[in-house]
Amino acid sequence: MGEKVFMQGNEAFAEAAIRSGCRYFFGYPITPSSEMPEYFAKKAPSEGLTFIQAETEVSAFNMIAGVAATGKRGMTATSGPGFSLGCEAMSYMSAAGLPSVVVYVMRPGPADGDILASQGDYFQMVKGGGHGDYNNIVLAPYSVQEFADCAPLAFELAEKYRNPVIVASDGMLSKMMENVVLPDRTEGPGEFEGCVNGAKGREHNVITTCATGPQQWEQFNLALQSKFAQIRDNEQRWECYNTEDADIIIVAFGTVARIALTTIKIARENGLKVGMIRPITLWPFPVKAFEGLTGKEFFVSELNAGQMVEDVKLAVNDNERVHFYGRLGGITPTPQELYEEIVKQCKH
Amino acid sequence: MKSEIILSGIGGQGTILMGKMACSAAAKKGLNVTLAPSYGQEKRGGRASCQVVISEEIGSPVISAADTILVMDEKSFDDYESHVKAGGTFIINTSMIDKKCARTDINVIEIPFTEIATELGSAKSANMVAFGAVVKTLNVISVEDAEAAIKAKMKPELVDVNIKAFEAGYNFK
Repeated sequence: MGEKVFMQGNEAFAEAAIRSGCRYFFGYPITPSSEMPEYFAKKAPSEGLTFIQAETEVSAFNMIAGVAATGKRGMTATSGPGFSLGCEAMSYMSAAGLPSVVVYVMRPGPADGDILASQGDYFQMVKGGGHGDYNNIVLAPYSVQEFADCAPLAFELAEKYRNPVIVASDGMLSKMMENVVLPDRTEGPGEFEGCVNGAKGREHNVITTCATGPQQWEQFNLALQSKFAQIRDNEQRWECYNTEDADIIIVAFGTVARIALTTIKIARENGLKVGMIRPITLWPFPVKAFEGLTGKEFFVSELNAGQMVEDVKLAVNDNERVHFYGRLGGITPTPQELYEEIVKQCKH
Repeated sequence: MKSEIILSGIGGQGTILMGKMACSAAAKKGLNVTLAPSYGQEKRGGRASCQVVISEEIGSPVISAADTILVMDEKSFDDYESHVKAGGTFIINTSMIDKKCARTDINVIEIPFTEIATELGSAKSANMVAFGAVVKTLNVISVEDAEAAIKAKMKPELVDVNIKAFEAGYNFK
């Protein structure tokens, strides 16, 4: 275990990524993600990294696809408008089996929006964003520590399933500073079967998303779907807080889950048995976390107009028991505000 | 032990810097700290504030009601007067705020940060006078740790005047 340092979320992730063997960063600065490209640019000479500020996110995401095809670890970081530009490449990377890591620092939209915290891009990350039947693995940390820990995990998952992984942050978590223990230095595998790293002495490898004809294309899609089914079976991650005796279970991720830690305390001091399920993977959504929780009410809170709540309703399968409270525009609710809203909406 | 603090002012007044210093001093003691900054898109003149939680446990970085609030400008005064916990402390920069706090259930500390800093030879150190007042109110961070945080953040030639400013704020009666 390393030493505790007081660090900002964006910088902690960037440092953790470098320590995880990420040698390439391609990006275009956008608040509130810009400390990550800045950090890589600053460290590039001493760490021997390649840093390119692309002319647009379209290029940056395609550069990530290119470096991923060689088996090397590379990443980008962006926010709403930038991710929208990168979506075409996300679809290609998922189809082509290219392991890449993208940090998505959500800010309130739509359009230019503002630079504070939001979770309005849940649908875009979780339901695709790009075209076609594909999924991104989406990790949603809720502390600077977990954000940093997501760096090695994101690369491992990307390489294990040969799929892009998004680490979902927001304008609060990325800018927040707290104590963090950074991960030890590791290296990626450096190659995978079929990667394009020079064809000396062998047949050249081809990475393609092309199949001719509906039959072949259906087979291609079925193979992709079996990859996603495997991820759904193996990689659902979540954390439970006081759920066993709880009458009301908060469901929240990222910044809101962090705020809700204190809400649970306030509620219990006031005699209300409140717990929490905190999805850590947004895709695959942790439906297993909801198994066997009969008779409980669910209070979903997000920094959006109601997105993850749809997945909670599918998991609970009883809309009457699912309540929602969202804030928009960059406003983060206080713990007391969430408690008062629980009292207002829940029947217990 | 838990202390929730909001520091609010205009961009350039150093509220986020103060928050960082308070956190690094408290983190040194092994306490959990979170600093959640907030600022607008403006390069200059916009709101710059931060919420700081110093605690033995890990909880929300967003504060429902704060133990201590420092306001550096009138807009911050208007926005945060009601956010001080009953029994908490409201520190007002009277160099820039020409208003009286109407609440009687909190401690009100009025200090002319800029005038004090100017007397010490550097108006720009007004935020370190404020930092001194904040550290005194918190009663969590030692003077030594706070001064070490100032030394770590400042250029060597600016350390002395800023430590003087810090002490003036800390000892203000």
